Amino acid sequence: MPEIKLAIVGAGRMGITHYAIINSHPDVSMVSVAEPSPLVLTLMARYLSVATFKDYRQLFDQTHPDAILVCTPPNLHFEIIREAGRRGIHVFSEKPFTTKFAEASELARYFTDLGLINQVGYVNRFNDIFCKVKEYIAGGLIGKVIRFKSEMFCCTVTHRDEGSGWRATHECGGGAVYEMASHAIDLVNFLVGKPEKIVGSSLNHIYSKNVEDAVSTTLLYRNDVSGTLYINWSDTSYRKPVNKIEIFGEGGRILADQYSAKIFLNKPAESWSLHQGWNTIYVTDVFKPVPFYVRGNEFTRQLYHFVECIRNRSAFSRCTFSDGADALEVIEEIFTDYELHGRI
Amino acid sequence: MQAIDRIVFGDNQFFGINHMSQEKAQQLSEQFFNISNVYQVYDVAFEAGIRAVMLNSNDRAAVICDHFRENPRKYGDIRWYPSIPYPHKYANLVAEKGIIPAINEVLFKHNSTGDILGIMAKGGIAVFSKDALMVMQMLVDLEMKMFRGLDIKVVFLQNIITDLILGYGVRAVFEGYCDYIRKRYGALPGLITQNMPFLKSKLEEWGIGEVVICSSYNKIGYLMSPDVESYVMAARNNDPSVYQLMAMSTLASGAIPASDAYDFINRQNIQSVVFGASSRGHIRETVDLIRI
Repeated sequence: MPEIKLAIVGAGRMGITHYAIINSHPDVSMVSVAEPSPLVLTLMARYLSVATFKDYRQLFDQTHPDAILVCTPPNLHFEIIREAGRRGIHVFSEKPFTTKFAEASELARYFTDLGLINQVGYVNRFNDIFCKVKEYIAGGLIGKVIRFKSEMFCCTVTHRDEGSGWRATHECGGGAVYEMASHAIDLVNFLVGKPEKIVGSSLNHIYSKNVEDAVSTTLLYRNDVSGTLYINWSDTSYRKPVNKIEIFGEGGRILADQYSAKIFLNKPAESWSLHQGWNTIYVTDVFKPVPFYVRGNEFTRQLYHFVECIRNRSAFSRCTFSDGADALEVIEEIFTDYELHGRI
Repeated sequence: MQAIDRIVFGDNQFFGINHMSQEKAQQLSEQFFNISNVYQVYDVAFEAGIRAVMLNSNDRAAVICDHFRENPRKYGDIRWYPSIPYPHKYANLVAEKGIIPAINEVLFKHNSTGDILGIMAKGGIAVFSKDALMVMQMLVDLEMKMFRGLDIKVVFLQNIITDLILGYGVRAVFEGYCDYIRKRYGALPGLITQNMPFLKSKLEEWGIGEVVICSSYNKIGYLMSPDVESYVMAARNNDPSVYQLMAMSTLASGAIPASDAYDFINRQNIQSVVFGASSRGHIRETVDLIRI
């Protein structure tokens, strides 16, 4: 089978990491990179055997990739992805996919109609522990879900900024909601489902001038299900990013992060080898090794999954543009709720 | 190649690092807030016969280095295995500012005038586009500053960097790093990786030898890509005069009982084990169990 010709559009932090991971895949040939930074382009041209471009259109014209990884600032995603679709190119897009729900929905429909593989980089869906929690919830381990709490913390932003750079405005996809809460929202969508209504949203500025550094909100569902969300990217008590989710159901409770899960059950669940009361599983109990590791099994797994979906068109894509649009719909509702009700 | 120490004392426990449990990490962070508690644990390790220390170049490590330097009579024979850089410092900076401003900040904001003059003499950030290896050397020097005057045996590159460059397959960076560590520090170059068999095969292909390779090595295959079998095979076929292998994460973050873990490790063709522990009992038990 011929190799998949792959290109990267946007060689910032994620583009650089993804390159190293996907370059290890035996079915992939890296053909080109588009990136505006002359320094990064010079280094890549010098040390790697890929074609480099400032403009993604030239990259498309001259190197004809089968698939691309889109890792630019999120406000640029829409144009790039639409153009890729027009040219029949499969797309993996970094989260939060786009900055507008309407654009995200359009792309989701477009790619589905075209029959092109489309994936968004919500990496938690490929984490060993969260995949196990998904199995538990879907398998009815804790019965009907009633309440949940989805949280994410890190110490990414700990200095005042001048309000510059693409992270500094919502229009560019900056701020804790687009950057981080999107992960926590997608995790809720993945494990519990998309909420019907958002209430009680509040945003806090801690260090950033134009965008929020912390956000909380309440998510409501039909059938009396609800949950809360709290994200803070300026919390220096966390050494590295942590996603936490707590889910309370009729039959018990699950508390999980990327590395372990604690499960309390009202009754034993023999088919899962879990007993009544507290159980703990660690990532060392459930992990599946990956062929090449750079920064966590889930990062390798999500990109290898993208390749697998291109190779085997019947493979079920685990995080589609439609999933990406769902997260953006919630994000827009949070901003709207905050504008209408979030300030005194 | 000079033989490395059979047992090296690691440092994760001192910096609130526990890959499995945040509660445990918090508890360790509290316990070792008082730096004298760190020194006490080192003394226990030295009493148990360990003479080698691996230390990551984070902010607290500088204070620890000062302590050891100030007590040469007590610690003069300790051999040092620094690992560089402290990845989270760079990860957060890069996330906040982007790659180039982050390097700029590391090179210029956190350093004394003397350092900056040294960097400018090498050409400053402008040389990056012409000579990335020179920028790498500047970053290595900055990270290594805190270890000045200590007996450096191996300088390890952290796995996030090693494996990133390995993914790109850039021979020149590995060659440049290894040569620089040998020449500038008179030490063995070390590479930490989560892809030991692949790294070793690439180094062989590129003819880069006399390197210490440190990797997770445990019976359940945790953080061992692609799998345990490939590690066992790579170690079995290894010539230790070309690559010395060092095992870390031997207990897989506590998933394997120590006796089982070392029962497996002792049967492997590896030259060294790095482990961290914070109690006298665990340190002594581990030293007794390691029979490589």
